[in-house]
Formats: sequence, C-alpha cells, structure tokens
Amino acid sequence: MYFLIITFGFLLAMRGTRPASLQRPAEGFRRIVRETIDLFLTMSLILALLAVAAGSEEVRTGVGEYAVLGFGIAAYLLSRYQKKTDLFFFSVIAGIFMISSKQRNLSEEILLAGVVSAGIALFQACFLGLRYKLLFSSVPVSMKGWPSLCLLAGFISMVLWGLWNSAF
Amino acid sequence: MVYPYGFFKAGIAVLWIVVFLWSTVFFFWFTRRLFPDHLLKHAFFFWLVVWAQAVWTLTKLPPYWIVSVFFLTPVSFLDDTAKASHVRVFSKKVPRYFFERALTGIGFAGFVMLLTLVREIGEKSLGMHVFEQPAGMLLTAAAVAFLWKNQPYRRRSQYPSIAAERKLGPPKSPLMKRKQRLGKG
Repeated sequence: MYFLIITFGFLLAMRGTRPASLQRPAEGFRRIVRETIDLFLTMSLILALLAVAAGSEEVRTGVGEYAVLGFGIAAYLLSRYQKKTDLFFFSVIAGIFMISSKQRNLSEEILLAGVVSAGIALFQACFLGLRYKLLFSSVPVSMKGWPSLCLLAGFISMVLWGLWNSAF
Repeated sequence: MVYPYGFFKAGIAVLWIVVFLWSTVFFFWFTRRLFPDHLLKHAFFFWLVVWAQAVWTLTKLPPYWIVSVFFLTPVSFLDDTAKASHVRVFSKKVPRYFFERALTGIGFAGFVMLLTLVREIGEKSLGMHVFEQPAGMLLTAAAVAFLWKNQPYRRRSQYPSIAAERKLGPPKSPLMKRKQRLGKG
C-alpha cells in the first residue's frame, strides 16, 4: 500500500493535472485537495459497485473472474466523465486492485481508499512545497531537473515510511 | 515493478512489458486508420485493460505493468497523420518510428534490471534498509538521472570545438568588425 502511495504520488505530482505555476503554491495545493477528493470518491464508488455486484448470486462468479476488466472499464468511464487525466485512471485502477485484493468488507475498503488518497495528497503537498522552496535556493545546474526531483521524492518517501510505520 | 519482485521475476515481467509494448506499437501503427478518430484513444485504453485482465487471469501478474506500457508509448502514437521517417542501420533503411521504439524497450529493460540489481545488492549484500522501500529506487534513479544529465560528451557539445570555431571563423560582433576594418583584428 505504501509502495502504491509513493509511486502514484510521484507520478501524479509530475503529470497528474495541468501544472499550476510554482510561483503560486496555494493554487497548486487547492488542485491537490480537489484531485484527492475526486480520487477518493471515484475509488469508493467503484468499490461500492463491486460490492453490490458481488452481492448478487447471478453475477458473483463473473465479477470474481473479470474483476480487472470490470473495474478497469468503470474507472475509465468515470475518469472520462470527470475529464480527468489518463494518469488519474491508472491511479484508480491500481488503487482498487490493491484494496480489493486485501480487504473484503466494504467499509474497510472505503477506509483504505481514504488512507491511500490522503497519503497520495500528503506526498504531493510535500513535493509541491519542497519544489517551491527549491525555486529560492541556488541548485547547481547539473542537479536541476530530474536528479533533484528524484532526490526530493526519495527523501519524502523516507519520511513517509517513518510515519507509515508509526501509524500502522 | 522493481520493488515487489526479485531479480528473476522482475526480468520476466520487464520482458513481457517490452514484448507487449512492441506488439502494441506494431498493432496500432498498422490498424489506427481503421478506427474512427474519436474512438482511437478509447480503443487503446480498452486494449490495455483487456490485456491486464488476460495476463492477470493467466499468470496472476498484477495489472500495474500497464502504467509502464502507457509511459513508454510515444505521444504521437495515436496521431493518424504521423509518418515514419527512415534511419540507416548497417546500410539498411529502417523506419525511425520502430527503431526508436525498439531502443526504448531495450533501454527500459536495461534500466529496470539495473535498479533491480542495485536493490538486490543494497538490500541483501549490504543490508541497507533504504532499499527495502521505494526511497532506495528513487535515490538510485536520482543518481542515474544525474549521470545521464552530465554525460561527458554532452558537456563537451555545449562548447564548440576548436576545429568548428576555425571553420566558422571569428565571431562577427560590431566591435570585431570595426577592429578588422581598422586593421587591428
């Protein structure tokens, strides 16, 4: 689960939405919160649909066998309906796959979806804040771009690992 | 992909991703004109989801691999008007489009195997706990990105060589021109 938060937190921070200017971090932070709520609601809705479908005797076998196809199509349609990016769709698929493979109870699954969404948002917020601070520091030219971004992500990942271990 | 698997399993998974990428590129390059314009992108994502389901059913490989395929796929992939130019390889003309995709696949496989090797050494041989989590991979990726960005030949190419400078001649600034005219240059 932690692996999912870091991977998709990093990917969404880099290519999640139309990037807000780094000069205006408050705007970027608002976008992160909005995207996180959308991610949580989309995942919860699909998990609820899966639970309802699994409750019916007729479709239970089909849902079990073709789960990836089922929630993949649902995630794609919901992402397109909300005019989200392609990466949002992949995040929803990965999140639902991991949550549904671990949990069976719907309330626990929704709670886990909330934890994943909040973790991704925390990662993105830290990343945005550090990138903003980096604007005012003299980073060597050889370290600008991907080297410094990966380094930042690695450090945030280590901090979140500590928080994750103490929380769970 | 590196994180949950060992060296051997990561190798098989990356091999599958590269083969699938090449098959996808090959398939859609030749069939893209058969799809209506507004359905082409949807068809591509549907293709990914169907294969994710098929591979999960057959091998129990989690569907995260489709994210790698998505990122390796070029932006112009679904552009109906795109044309493949040619590049010479061993005196034979090969379409640049497929040549670049082949290099992308090989590069991706090499990069993943390098990360896996570093993780195996760092975690098992050196006992570094940072490699048990994604932070280790991100720090390794930072090191690789640093080395890639500061390649010696790239740094050299930022400054023109002496031979190229002689060929171009002296810079033609107004001050230099004036000096040349006055015979001081």
